[in-house]
Amino acid sequence: MSTLVGLVVVSHSRLLGEAAVALAREMAPGELAIEVAAGLDETTFGTDAVAIAEAIGAADSGAGVVVLMDLGSAVLSAELALDLLDDPDARDRVQLCPAPLVEGLVVAAVTAAGGAAREEVAAEAAAALGGKQAQLGAPVDVGAADAGEAGGGVTAEFTVANPHGLHARPAARLASLVRGLDGAQVRVRNATTGSDWIPAASLAGLTALGALAGHRVEVGVTGPAAQAAVEAVLGLASRHFDEPVAGPSAPRPAAPASTQGPLAAAPGIGIGPKRGAEPAAPVVPDEPATDPAAERERLDAALPAVAAEIRVARDTTARELGEEEAAIFDAHLLLLDDPALLSDARSAVAGGASAPRAWSDAAERVAAAWEAVPDPYLAARAADVRAVASQVLRALVGGPDLVPVDDGGEEQQVLVATDLTPARPPRSIRSGWRVSSSPAAADRAQRDPAAGPGGPGRRGGRPGRARRAGRHPDRLRRRHRRAGGRSGSRRAGGLPRPRGRTGGAGGAGAGACRGPGRHPGRVGVLVGANVGSPADAVAATAAGADLVGLLRTEFLFLGRTAAPDVDEQEAAYREVAAALGGRRVTLRTLDVGGDKPLPYLPLPAEANPFLGLRGIRLAEAHPGLLADQLLAAVRVAHETPLSVMFPMVAALDELIAARRALDTAIAAEGRGVPPGLQVGIMVEVPATALKAAAFVPHVDFFSIGTNDLTQYALAAERGNPSVAALADPLDPGVLRLVDAVCRAAGERALVAVCGEAAADPLAAELLVGLGVRELSTAPPAVPGTKQAVRELDAGRAADRAAAALTADGPGAVRRI
Amino acid sequence: MAGAGIDAAALDRWIRAFAAAITEHEAELTRLDSAIGDADHGANMTRGLKAVVAKLDDGAATGPGALLKQTGMTLVSTVGGASGPLYGTFFLRMATAVGDTDTLDGAAFAAALRAGVEGVVARGKAEAGDKTMYDALAPAVDALDAALGGEDAAGALSAAAAAAAAGRDATTPMQARKGRASYLGERSVGHQDPGATSAALLVQAAADTLG
Repeated sequence: MSTLVGLVVVSHSRLLGEAAVALAREMAPGELAIEVAAGLDETTFGTDAVAIAEAIGAADSGAGVVVLMDLGSAVLSAELALDLLDDPDARDRVQLCPAPLVEGLVVAAVTAAGGAAREEVAAEAAAALGGKQAQLGAPVDVGAADAGEAGGGVTAEFTVANPHGLHARPAARLASLVRGLDGAQVRVRNATTGSDWIPAASLAGLTALGALAGHRVEVGVTGPAAQAAVEAVLGLASRHFDEPVAGPSAPRPAAPASTQGPLAAAPGIGIGPKRGAEPAAPVVPDEPATDPAAERERLDAALPAVAAEIRVARDTTARELGEEEAAIFDAHLLLLDDPALLSDARSAVAGGASAPRAWSDAAERVAAAWEAVPDPYLAARAADVRAVASQVLRALVGGPDLVPVDDGGEEQQVLVATDLTPARPPRSIRSGWRVSSSPAAADRAQRDPAAGPGGPGRRGGRPGRARRAGRHPDRLRRRHRRAGGRSGSRRAGGLPRPRGRTGGAGGAGAGACRGPGRHPGRVGVLVGANVGSPADAVAATAAGADLVGLLRTEFLFLGRTAAPDVDEQEAAYREVAAALGGRRVTLRTLDVGGDKPLPYLPLPAEANPFLGLRGIRLAEAHPGLLADQLLAAVRVAHETPLSVMFPMVAALDELIAARRALDTAIAAEGRGVPPGLQVGIMVEVPATALKAAAFVPHVDFFSIGTNDLTQYALAAERGNPSVAALADPLDPGVLRLVDAVCRAAGERALVAVCGEAAADPLAAELLVGLGVRELSTAPPAVPGTKQAVRELDAGRAADRAAAALTADGPGAVRRI
Repeated sequence: MAGAGIDAAALDRWIRAFAAAITEHEAELTRLDSAIGDADHGANMTRGLKAVVAKLDDGAATGPGALLKQTGMTLVSTVGGASGPLYGTFFLRMATAVGDTDTLDGAAFAAALRAGVEGVVARGKAEAGDKTMYDALAPAVDALDAALGGEDAAGALSAAAAAAAAGRDATTPMQARKGRASYLGERSVGHQDPGATSAALLVQAAADTLG
């Protein structure tokens, strides 16, 4: 019964047929059989009944076939193809569908992939024009299959599981999903509060529902594709609107302010003139409206201009901070296009208001509605609305730019703001703020996007979120690599180790710094960079990094509907390697978990994703994903020094399995063991630190993710202001874990640190004193870290470290 | 029709003659189709019939039924446009009507031809006056049936060809109600139908080779 109805696409054009299938596959990935019988060859238009008959045979696995055709002879040929089928039973299982080809195919694919019978698939497809017709105001043909539900529509209900309810991002996901649905009008209401029904395409309306975690939301859908729409909405809801949920990191907006005072966003002290970042709100001029048509035109011209600005900010953010961070801009874009907001503003214009006045009032009504929501987190989203509203007003009436980008230059300034909204393009902060050592709250993210707080562009004012570690206590960074060429030799039984052949260069020491030329400091400490994109890699090289100590490969996997294939990964890694110009790249294999589900990698909902299926555990559950990544890594490793690092390793078996997968990839590539390939693990799990000796025979390096190790060791999340002070990497308990790793590694494996602590000069000294020989930080922090390393005295560092291990707390450690 | 009846060799000659006529008139068919269609009828039919002739040259098909079926299947796969399934159906239905007979007499051939034309109607859902190939084929089979009573085979086929030509000419003032030409509505009036034109060539080829 799991057999799906097959589909056959008949078109005059092979390109058209194949493109239509590609489009449909996006909506219905998986095993659905879709055969194409189109064109006489690649370039000759025409249809071929024999080919159609063969396609029908290929698509039919017993549940029958629905055939979709373009025009003219496609229909005749398809009919003739039925005559050509030898088996009358097979013929009876074929349904020729009168649907328009593209729309019909997409609906048919979605319906068939859902397991529907062929009659239903054909009927749904035949009604596929409904959405377009409704949109364009044409009479809607309701397909026969839908007649029953066309009247009352389909209803369903889901419970909001997102910790902050349906706030801007999940609401934006829902609104964009609904807007993309053809043939369905979706409305929702908050059943818990008994709200009115609002169109789900309206982001403003959705957010104003005040749907909090645990609230029940009722969904009502009419239209020919109602059933599919309901399923799509419920599917999205069950994925928590693609938002991380729960986990130790869920920020608690209502949490009491930390008793420790503000959290440092970056190490160091900065002194500089105060720079107020609050943009002067543009004033709505008290001007009379010109005529409504002109005002309408003015408004309509401003919106796309602002949308373009936001898209630029979005792209910049996506590039620098990642897709997840950039998603908030999608919400802003949706606001610009919000049907409720726009129609409110436009009707005010029609009634004689000026464009700025109409827009400002309409936006303020939306902001006020959000503010009225009881949840403080949601209420704070009003700031998003006002920020976007200001941007539009600015476009309408002019006004000061968000943050003066004029002066500043290299001068350090202290940014003071109550709210850093994403509407402020990161570049304006970037250009005006020096990031190397300023403690200004906003700049930390630029130094280490994955670790920092909101980051410039992002939702600044979010309480509790100042350190964005919140959402994923950044499982961090790090890498490994051993100095010079010690390699090969030791190694006990077990798996063959690829590394080995490294440079026989030279045993020892040789200054530990394989990096061309940089002085790592007297004790021979490499300073690497944590990067999350090829652009970061360029920045890393510019900052003088000796290597990439952590390449977060998630950038290739997030925000898309299918995993990158081997070639794409290879190209991306190659790009990173090229930016490093021959310096080592430490590639961490995919490190995601239930907090960041990928559309193509369904993960069970977990109560606590940070203690769940993630990192190497996830890779074991999806061996194909790991195999592809390792193959891409091996290919690149044949040309550039590359280290492979497995994240979240808690058990030796996990490492051994991962190394087998690596051996398989090496064998598959068939060129032998890449000469510069090294293998290591992240140490984030306290148990792993304590049993590091067991791993030593199987690794070239350990890379300690101090952020996660600290959080796991102290059971305190850095994003939670109530307990963040506990999560101090200088806690003697954490330092003892680092010490355990260094002692187990001895001379046999390199120990690196890729957490934020690496960028803190005091921590760096202690880490080096314990035996860490590589520090990897965000690219902007590289020069400072190098300087710190150069200045430290090995003997003194070792003494301090020894004292720190027996201190009674982080405060005492700092006083040593 | 030849006294000895119509055998595979005769059908082979007929189909080759049809192919030659189509090739000869390709430009004309294309011109007609460019006025009210998508200008591909001449090219499509030429391509299809070249493939048909190549199959005949292979000599794989023996017997009238097999030869007609092979012709139909080849047209189906190679013409591309609507005439592919229509002419394909025509020959396939003829093949079915012929069965495994080795030699057809006049009545059997006429019956097969009618079966083919009925197939065209079933496939294309065309009616008389729709400005299609049926407007040439229908009068032809009617004339053939009528003439078979009195005239000799050659005379009967000539009458059929004449009727097809008259039917073809009669399409000019018609308004198309089928196929792409129907999109033109009244603008299709005043143009001779390309499908009826090629169909008349088919019947004329029969008169030329089977009479």
